[in-house]
Amino acid sequence: MDKSNNHPYEELLAAYSAGSLPLSQALCISAHLEHCQSCGQKLQQLNHVGSELMLQLKPSKVSDELKTRLLGMLDSLPEDLPDGESREVDSRVPRCLHQFVERNYDDLDWKRVSADIHSVELCRDSNGARVELLKIKPGGSATTHTHMGDEYTVILEGSFSDESGLYGQGDFLIRDENDQHTPVATQDRECICLAVTEGPIQFTGFLHRLLNPFIRRGYA
Amino acid sequence: MPLMANTTAKSDKLAHLSACIVRVAENRDKAAFAELFDHYAPLIRAYSLAREPGADLVADDLVQEVLARVWLKAAKYNARLANLNTWIFTLARNCRIDYLRRNSRYATEIDPTDIFNEIEDEGPGPFQMVQQSRVQQNIRVGLEQLPKEQSEILTKVYLEGKSHQQTSEELKLPLGTVKSRVRLALKKLEVLVPR
Ligand SMILES: [Zn+2]
Repeated sequence: MDKSNNHPYEELLAAYSAGSLPLSQALCISAHLEHCQSCGQKLQQLNHVGSELMLQLKPSKVSDELKTRLLGMLDSLPEDLPDGESREVDSRVPRCLHQFVERNYDDLDWKRVSADIHSVELCRDSNGARVELLKIKPGGSATTHTHMGDEYTVILEGSFSDESGLYGQGDFLIRDENDQHTPVATQDRECICLAVTEGPIQFTGFLHRLLNPFIRRGYA
Repeated sequence: MPLMANTTAKSDKLAHLSACIVRVAENRDKAAFAELFDHYAPLIRAYSLAREPGADLVADDLVQEVLARVWLKAAKYNARLANLNTWIFTLARNCRIDYLRRNSRYATEIDPTDIFNEIEDEGPGPFQMVQQSRVQQNIRVGLEQLPKEQSEILTKVYLEGKSHQQTSEELKLPLGTVKSRVRLALKKLEVLVPR
């Protein structure tokens, strides 16, 4: 299954492999990987890079005491945590989002942003980035907005298009603050996206300019 | 040591360690586990110290955590998907991420457990063995030949766990330069060769 045409940059995938990416961005990469075989293969190779770099380190002496202690503990280590969750989560929800979604997207506390958009904040990252889901109604405008930092988007359901093209399930997009895009969901179905924004969003449409003070407060 | 001899010695060692993990998985063999400990614990300790120099207790904790997981998860290790070194690296990486999150000054509710899968299900399917070992060989040889300005950036990102932004600040380089050096390095290592 390799439907995606828009992939994270290699250096972003490398930072994910290294474990040095903020967790909010890592969420986006992980959601993309569920739909992208070629990034999955790249990731395996990037993990080899990490492993070779670790092997080049000068080994640091470990005390005999630590070894004795661990060997003595082996039989009493708790069994591995169960892999399968007992909870049944809708298969449409990527695994990395199971921590936020009880059973399916309908369970979430969606808030109206505009006539076309509902959103729900899932969490904040330690760097302040806001992690949310956006739901855009069929044919709806995902608004023109600008934002302070980069915005990471992964399409989870449906598709949308903007001036630069058509985007479908699994597509990974980064927009910077200078980007004035006007995405519109395709007519056939609603579109659900995972969005990570680094700074407060400023809507630039007329109505949104009016709404902006409230929105800004929400993002403060 | 000449490069080829060095490489052969390394793959002999890896073959021996891979036999050890099978004995741990199938027979719960503690002597085999002790061999894995002797080889990997000092590397994991060094990996922890690369990020937090001088933090000896943290390093010992990471060693214990990772090797406990090796014992518990040995049966899940799948040699067709990754060599043992790479499996251990991903375990160490995941444990370090988890440790950092739990001990961060700035809390986040994001749980990394479901983000960084263990290697057995990272990527959708097995590589062919031959292709995989060729790729690893290229990476190993390539790393030795990388210009210092590129290898030092990979070290920052992979071993010290620095973000691109932090790397750019520490090396006093523009962010774009950091990113392009990562990309150049990966190209040299043939990680980015289209398949
Ligand atoms: Zn991809």
